[in-house]
Amino acid sequence: MPEVADIEQLPVPQARAGEPAAWDALFRRYQLPLYVYVFELVRDEQAGLDIVQETFIAAARHIGGLRDDAKFGSWLFGIAHQKCVQRWRKRREILLDEIPETPDEFEDSPDDLLIRREQEAEFMNLLNQLPLPQRSVLLLHFVEDFSLEEISHVTESPLGTVKSRLHYAKKSLRKLLEEKK
Amino acid sequence: MKTSREILFARHQSNAPKLDAIRREVVAGLNHQDTKAQSGAVNLVSWCLGGSNKLWLELIWPCRRIWSGLAAVWILIFIINFAQRDGSQDANAKSAPTAGVMMAFGEQEKLLNELLADRSLPVEADRPRNFTPKPRTETIRFLII
Repeated sequence: MPEVADIEQLPVPQARAGEPAAWDALFRRYQLPLYVYVFELVRDEQAGLDIVQETFIAAARHIGGLRDDAKFGSWLFGIAHQKCVQRWRKRREILLDEIPETPDEFEDSPDDLLIRREQEAEFMNLLNQLPLPQRSVLLLHFVEDFSLEEISHVTESPLGTVKSRLHYAKKSLRKLLEEKK
Repeated sequence: MKTSREILFARHQSNAPKLDAIRREVVAGLNHQDTKAQSGAVNLVSWCLGGSNKLWLELIWPCRRIWSGLAAVWILIFIINFAQRDGSQDANAKSAPTAGVMMAFGEQEKLLNELLADRSLPVEADRPRNFTPKPRTETIRFLII
Protein backbone atom coordinates (compact mmCIF):
# COMPACT_ATOMS: atom_id res chain seq x y z
CA MET A 1 0.00 0.00 0.00
CA PRO A 2 1.53 3.33 -0.97
CA GLU A 3 2.20 5.81 1.75
CA VAL A 4 2.09 9.55 1.57
CA ALA A 5 5.65 10.20 0.44
CA ASP A 6 7.80 13.19 1.03
CA ILE A 7 6.97 15.43 -1.90
CA GLU A 8 10.49 16.84 -2.10
CA GLN A 9 11.83 13.41 -3.01
CA LEU A 10 9.64 13.17 -6.10
CA PRO A 11 11.48 13.49 -9.42
CA VAL A 12 9.45 16.45 -10.63
CA PRO A 13 12.40 18.40 -12.13
CA GLN A 14 13.43 15.32 -14.12
CA ALA A 15 9.85 14.86 -15.31
CA ARG A 16 9.81 18.50 -16.29
CA ALA A 17 12.95 17.83 -18.33
CA GLY A 18 11.02 15.10 -20.16
CA GLU A 19 12.53 11.95 -18.64
CA PRO A 20 10.03 9.11 -19.07
CA ALA A 21 11.48 7.24 -16.07
CA ALA A 22 10.67 10.21 -13.86
CA TRP A 23 7.12 10.30 -15.18
CA ASP A 24 6.82 6.60 -14.55
CA ALA A 25 7.89 7.08 -10.93
CA LEU A 26 5.48 9.96 -10.42
CA PHE A 27 2.55 8.13 -11.99
CA ARG A 28 3.35 5.00 -9.99
CA ARG A 29 3.33 7.04 -6.81
CA TYR A 30 -0.03 8.71 -7.51
CA GLN A 31 -1.97 6.21 -9.59
CA LEU A 32 -3.83 4.48 -6.76
CA PRO A 33 -4.59 7.55 -4.60
CA LEU A 34 -5.77 9.35 -7.70
CA TYR A 35 -7.97 6.47 -8.75
CA VAL A 36 -9.44 6.14 -5.26
CA TYR A 37 -10.29 9.82 -5.23
CA VAL A 38 -11.77 9.83 -8.73
CA PHE A 39 -13.70 6.59 -8.32
CA GLU A 40 -15.28 7.65 -5.04
CA LEU A 41 -16.48 10.81 -6.76
CA VAL A 42 -17.75 9.42 -10.05
CA ARG A 43 -18.72 5.94 -8.75
CA ASP A 44 -17.89 4.28 -12.07
CA GLU A 45 -14.86 2.05 -12.58
CA GLN A 46 -14.35 2.67 -16.29
CA ALA A 47 -14.93 6.40 -15.94
CA GLY A 48 -12.47 6.44 -13.05
CA LEU A 49 -9.78 4.70 -15.09
CA ASP A 50 -10.43 7.00 -18.04
CA ILE A 51 -10.11 10.09 -15.88
CA VAL A 52 -6.85 8.82 -14.36
CA GLN A 53 -5.45 8.28 -17.84
CA GLU A 54 -6.61 11.70 -19.03
CA THR A 55 -5.10 13.26 -15.92
CA PHE A 56 -1.72 11.64 -16.57
CA ILE A 57 -1.71 12.79 -20.19
CA ALA A 58 -2.74 16.32 -19.22
CA ALA A 59 -0.08 16.42 -16.51
CA ALA A 60 2.65 15.40 -18.95
CA ARG A 61 1.43 17.95 -21.45
CA HIS A 62 1.02 20.88 -19.06
CA ILE A 63 3.88 20.35 -16.62
CA GLY A 64 5.21 23.73 -17.73
CA GLY A 65 2.27 25.33 -15.92
CA LEU A 66 3.33 23.93 -12.54
CA ARG A 67 5.10 26.75 -10.70
CA ASP A 68 6.13 24.96 -7.53
CA ASP A 69 7.49 21.41 -7.82
CA ALA A 70 6.59 20.73 -4.18
CA LYS A 71 2.92 21.13 -5.10
CA PHE A 72 2.94 18.48 -7.79
CA GLY A 73 0.54 16.23 -5.85
CA SER A 74 -2.14 18.84 -5.31
CA TRP A 75 -1.65 20.07 -8.87
CA LEU A 76 -2.24 16.52 -10.20
CA PHE A 77 -5.31 16.06 -8.02
CA GLY A 78 -6.51 19.46 -9.22
CA ILE A 79 -6.41 18.24 -12.81
CA ALA A 80 -8.31 15.09 -11.85
CA HIS A 81 -10.84 17.14 -9.92
CA GLN A 82 -11.45 19.32 -12.96
CA LYS A 83 -12.01 16.22 -15.07
CA CYS A 84 -14.58 15.02 -12.53
CA VAL A 85 -16.29 18.42 -12.55
CA GLN A 86 -16.46 18.30 -16.36
CA ARG A 87 -18.06 14.88 -16.10
CA TRP A 88 -20.57 16.11 -13.55
CA ARG A 89 -21.44 19.03 -15.76
CA LYS A 90 -22.07 16.69 -18.64
CA ARG A 91 -24.34 14.59 -16.46
CA ARG A 92 -25.88 17.72 -14.92
CA GLU A 93 -25.33 16.58 -11.36
CA ILE A 94 -25.88 19.15 -8.68
CA LEU A 95 -22.72 20.40 -7.00
CA LEU A 96 -24.23 22.98 -4.72
CA ASP A 97 -23.28 22.80 -1.11
CA GLU A 98 -25.64 24.51 1.24
CA ILE A 99 -23.47 24.38 4.32
CA PRO A 100 -22.96 27.83 5.81
CA GLU A 101 -19.41 29.15 6.02
CA THR A 102 -18.29 29.82 9.58
CA PRO A 103 -14.67 28.65 9.39
CA ASP A 104 -13.32 30.08 12.59
CA GLU A 105 -15.46 27.84 14.72
CA PHE A 106 -13.84 24.62 13.53
CA GLU A 107 -10.96 22.89 15.18
CA ASP A 108 -10.63 19.51 13.54
CA SER A 109 -8.28 17.05 15.13
CA PRO A 110 -5.43 16.08 12.76
CA ASP A 111 -5.79 12.34 13.42
CA ASP A 112 -7.77 10.26 11.00
CA LEU A 113 -10.93 8.42 11.80
CA LEU A 114 -10.25 4.95 13.12
CA ILE A 115 -12.69 2.39 11.88
CA ARG A 116 -13.24 -1.10 13.14
CA ARG A 117 -13.22 -4.00 10.74
CA GLU A 118 -16.95 -4.65 11.03
CA GLN A 119 -17.59 -0.98 10.28
CA GLU A 120 -15.60 -0.85 7.04
CA ALA A 121 -18.49 -1.57 4.72
CA GLU A 122 -20.63 0.82 6.67
CA PHE A 123 -17.96 3.50 6.40
CA MET A 124 -17.89 3.21 2.63
CA ASN A 125 -21.65 3.33 2.51
CA LEU A 126 -21.72 6.44 4.66
CA LEU A 127 -19.02 8.07 2.62
CA ASN A 128 -21.11 7.63 -0.48
CA GLN A 129 -24.07 9.23 1.21
CA LEU A 130 -22.21 12.48 1.73
CA PRO A 131 -22.86 15.32 -0.75
CA LEU A 132 -20.26 15.50 -3.51
CA PRO A 133 -18.41 18.62 -2.29
CA GLN A 134 -18.08 17.18 1.22
CA ARG A 135 -17.03 13.80 -0.12
CA SER A 136 -14.43 15.43 -2.34
CA VAL A 137 -12.86 17.35 0.53
CA LEU A 138 -12.94 14.38 2.87
CA LEU A 139 -11.35 12.07 0.29
CA LEU A 140 -8.53 14.50 -0.35
CA HIS A 141 -7.98 14.65 3.37
CA PHE A 142 -8.07 10.86 3.79
CA VAL A 143 -6.25 9.76 0.67
CA GLU A 144 -3.35 12.20 0.50
CA ASP A 145 -3.60 14.00 3.82
CA PHE A 146 -3.59 17.30 1.97
CA SER A 147 -3.59 20.49 3.99
CA LEU A 148 -6.63 22.75 3.89
CA GLU A 149 -4.75 25.13 1.58
CA GLU A 150 -3.93 22.29 -0.78
CA ILE A 151 -7.53 21.05 -0.75
CA SER A 152 -8.62 24.60 -1.44
CA HIS A 153 -6.24 24.67 -4.41
CA VAL A 154 -7.44 21.30 -5.73
CA THR A 155 -11.14 22.05 -5.49
CA GLU A 156 -10.72 25.73 -6.39
CA SER A 157 -12.84 26.67 -3.38
CA PRO A 158 -12.20 29.31 -0.75
CA LEU A 159 -10.36 28.16 2.35
CA GLY A 160 -13.34 28.85 4.58
CA THR A 161 -15.59 26.69 2.43
CA VAL A 162 -13.08 23.84 2.57
CA LYS A 163 -12.87 24.10 6.34
CA SER A 164 -16.61 24.02 6.77
CA ARG A 165 -17.05 21.15 4.34
CA LEU A 166 -14.39 19.08 6.03
CA HIS A 167 -15.79 19.82 9.44
CA TYR A 168 -19.33 18.86 8.53
CA ALA A 169 -18.23 15.78 6.61
CA LYS A 170 -16.20 14.46 9.54
CA LYS A 171 -18.94 15.31 11.97
CA SER A 172 -21.53 13.51 9.86
CA LEU A 173 -19.33 10.44 9.51
CA ARG A 174 -18.52 10.27 13.21
CA LYS A 175 -22.13 10.67 14.13
CA LEU A 176 -23.25 7.99 11.73
CA LEU A 177 -20.53 5.61 12.85
CA GLU A 178 -21.38 6.13 16.50
CA GLU A 179 -25.03 5.51 15.77
CA LYS A 180 -24.14 2.20 14.13
CA LYS A 181 -22.11 0.96 17.10
CA MET B 1 -8.73 -0.96 13.62
CA LYS B 2 -7.93 0.65 10.26
CA THR B 3 -7.71 4.19 9.10
CA SER B 4 -10.09 5.43 6.46
CA ARG B 5 -7.13 5.69 4.09
CA GLU B 6 -6.24 2.04 4.52
CA ILE B 7 -9.83 1.01 3.92
CA LEU B 8 -10.10 3.06 0.75
CA PHE B 9 -6.83 1.77 -0.65
CA ALA B 10 -7.60 -1.85 0.19
CA ARG B 11 -10.94 -1.51 -1.53
CA HIS B 12 -9.37 -0.42 -4.82
CA GLN B 13 -6.16 -2.45 -4.71
CA SER B 14 -7.68 -4.92 -7.19
CA ASN B 15 -7.53 -2.25 -9.88
CA ALA B 16 -3.76 -1.84 -9.52
CA PRO B 17 -2.97 -3.96 -12.65
CA LYS B 18 -5.29 -1.80 -14.76
CA LEU B 19 -3.67 1.32 -13.39
CA ASP B 20 -0.23 -0.14 -14.14
CA ALA B 21 -1.32 -0.75 -17.72
CA ILE B 22 -2.58 2.84 -18.04
CA ARG B 23 0.66 4.19 -16.58
CA ARG B 24 2.78 2.12 -18.97
CA GLU B 25 0.68 3.24 -21.91
CA VAL B 26 0.98 6.92 -21.04
CA VAL B 27 4.74 6.65 -20.39
CA ALA B 28 5.18 4.76 -23.67
CA GLY B 29 3.34 7.61 -25.36
CA LEU B 30 5.79 10.06 -23.80
CA ASN B 31 8.69 7.92 -25.02
CA HIS B 32 7.20 7.84 -28.47
CA GLN B 33 6.80 11.62 -28.52
CA ASP B 34 10.39 12.11 -27.36
CA THR B 35 11.74 9.72 -29.92
CA LYS B 36 9.56 11.25 -32.60
CA ALA B 37 10.97 14.67 -31.85
CA GLN B 38 14.54 13.48 -31.76
CA SER B 39 14.28 10.84 -34.46
CA GLY B 40 14.71 13.28 -37.34
CA ALA B 41 18.17 14.46 -36.33
CA VAL B 42 19.27 11.15 -34.78
CA ASN B 43 18.21 9.11 -37.78
CA LEU B 44 20.07 11.40 -40.12
CA VAL B 45 23.25 11.18 -38.07
CA SER B 46 23.00 7.41 -37.57
CA TRP B 47 22.26 6.92 -41.23
CA CYS B 48 25.25 9.03 -42.14
CA LEU B 49 27.54 7.16 -39.76
CA GLY B 50 26.33 3.57 -39.59
CA GLY B 51 23.77 3.15 -42.32
CA SER B 52 25.90 4.66 -45.03
CA ASN B 53 28.75 2.30 -44.18
CA LYS B 54 26.45 -0.71 -44.63
CA LEU B 55 25.08 0.76 -47.82
CA TRP B 56 28.61 1.24 -49.09
CA LEU B 57 29.68 -2.32 -48.33
CA GLU B 58 26.57 -4.10 -49.61
CA LEU B 59 25.37 -2.01 -52.51
CA ILE B 60 28.16 0.08 -53.94
CA TRP B 61 31.44 -1.77 -53.34
CA PRO B 62 30.53 -5.09 -55.09
CA CYS B 63 29.58 -3.28 -58.32
CA ARG B 64 32.02 -0.44 -58.00
CA ARG B 65 32.96 -0.45 -61.71
CA ILE B 66 29.34 -0.06 -62.81
CA TRP B 67 28.74 2.69 -60.27
CA SER B 68 31.92 4.53 -61.23
CA GLY B 69 30.95 4.22 -64.93
CA LEU B 70 27.48 5.62 -64.21
CA ALA B 71 29.05 8.41 -62.18
CA ALA B 72 31.41 9.25 -65.06
CA VAL B 73 28.51 9.34 -67.52
CA TRP B 74 26.54 11.64 -65.26
CA ILE B 75 29.52 13.95 -64.82
CA LEU B 76 29.95 14.05 -68.60
CA ILE B 77 26.26 14.88 -69.05
CA PHE B 78 26.54 17.69 -66.53
CA ILE B 79 29.65 19.10 -68.21
CA ILE B 80 28.02 19.04 -71.64
CA ASN B 81 24.86 20.59 -70.24
CA PHE B 82 26.76 23.42 -68.59
CA ALA B 83 28.87 23.99 -71.69
CA GLN B 84 25.74 24.24 -73.86
CA ARG B 85 24.12 26.61 -71.42
CA ASP B 86 27.13 28.91 -71.48
CA GLY B 87 27.19 28.78 -75.30
CA SER B 88 23.51 29.64 -75.60
CA GLN B 89 23.95 32.59 -73.21
CA ASP B 90 26.79 33.90 -75.41
CA ALA B 91 24.69 33.49 -78.51
CA ASN B 92 21.84 35.41 -76.88
CA ALA B 93 24.25 38.17 -75.92
CA LYS B 94 25.57 38.34 -79.50
CA SER B 95 22.12 38.46 -81.06
CA ALA B 96 21.02 41.49 -79.02
CA PRO B 97 19.62 44.22 -81.40
CA THR B 98 21.75 47.30 -82.05
CA ALA B 99 20.56 50.94 -81.72
CA GLY B 100 20.10 51.38 -85.48
CA VAL B 101 17.93 48.31 -85.79
CA MET B 102 15.84 49.52 -82.86
CA MET B 103 15.33 52.93 -84.55
CA ALA B 104 14.24 51.24 -87.78
CA PHE B 105 11.76 49.14 -85.82
CA GLY B 106 10.46 52.31 -84.15
CA GLU B 107 9.86 54.04 -87.50
CA GLN B 108 8.09 51.00 -88.90
CA GLU B 109 5.87 50.85 -85.87
CA LYS B 110 4.99 54.56 -86.24
CA LEU B 111 4.07 54.07 -89.87
CA LEU B 112 1.93 51.09 -89.05
CA ASN B 113 0.07 53.09 -86.42
CA GLU B 114 -0.68 55.88 -88.91
CA LEU B 115 -2.05 53.39 -91.41
CA LEU B 116 -4.24 51.79 -88.83
CA ALA B 117 -5.47 55.19 -87.66
CA ASP B 118 -6.73 55.96 -91.23
CA ARG B 119 -8.58 52.68 -91.38
CA SER B 120 -10.13 53.11 -88.02
CA LEU B 121 -12.25 56.10 -89.33
CA PRO B 122 -15.98 55.28 -89.41
CA VAL B 123 -17.14 54.14 -92.79
CA GLU B 124 -20.62 55.10 -93.92
CA ALA B 125 -22.73 52.06 -93.80
CA ASP B 126 -24.83 50.99 -96.79
CA ARG B 127 -28.31 52.31 -96.63
CA PRO B 128 -31.04 49.72 -96.43
CA ARG B 129 -32.65 49.13 -99.74
CA ASN B 130 -36.36 49.72 -100.18
CA PHE B 131 -37.85 46.37 -100.92
CA THR B 132 -41.14 46.35 -102.86
CA PRO B 133 -42.56 42.93 -103.45
CA LYS B 134 -43.33 42.18 -107.10
CA PRO B 135 -46.47 40.32 -108.22
CA ARG B 136 -46.08 36.63 -108.25
CA THR B 137 -47.65 34.44 -110.77
CA GLU B 138 -49.97 31.81 -109.33
CA THR B 139 -49.78 29.61 -112.39
CA ILE B 140 -48.15 26.31 -111.88
CA ARG B 141 -45.98 25.18 -114.61
CA PHE B 142 -45.92 21.51 -115.20
CA LEU B 143 -43.03 20.22 -116.93
CA ILE B 144 -43.89 17.45 -119.20
CA ILE B 145 -41.08 15.41 -120.07
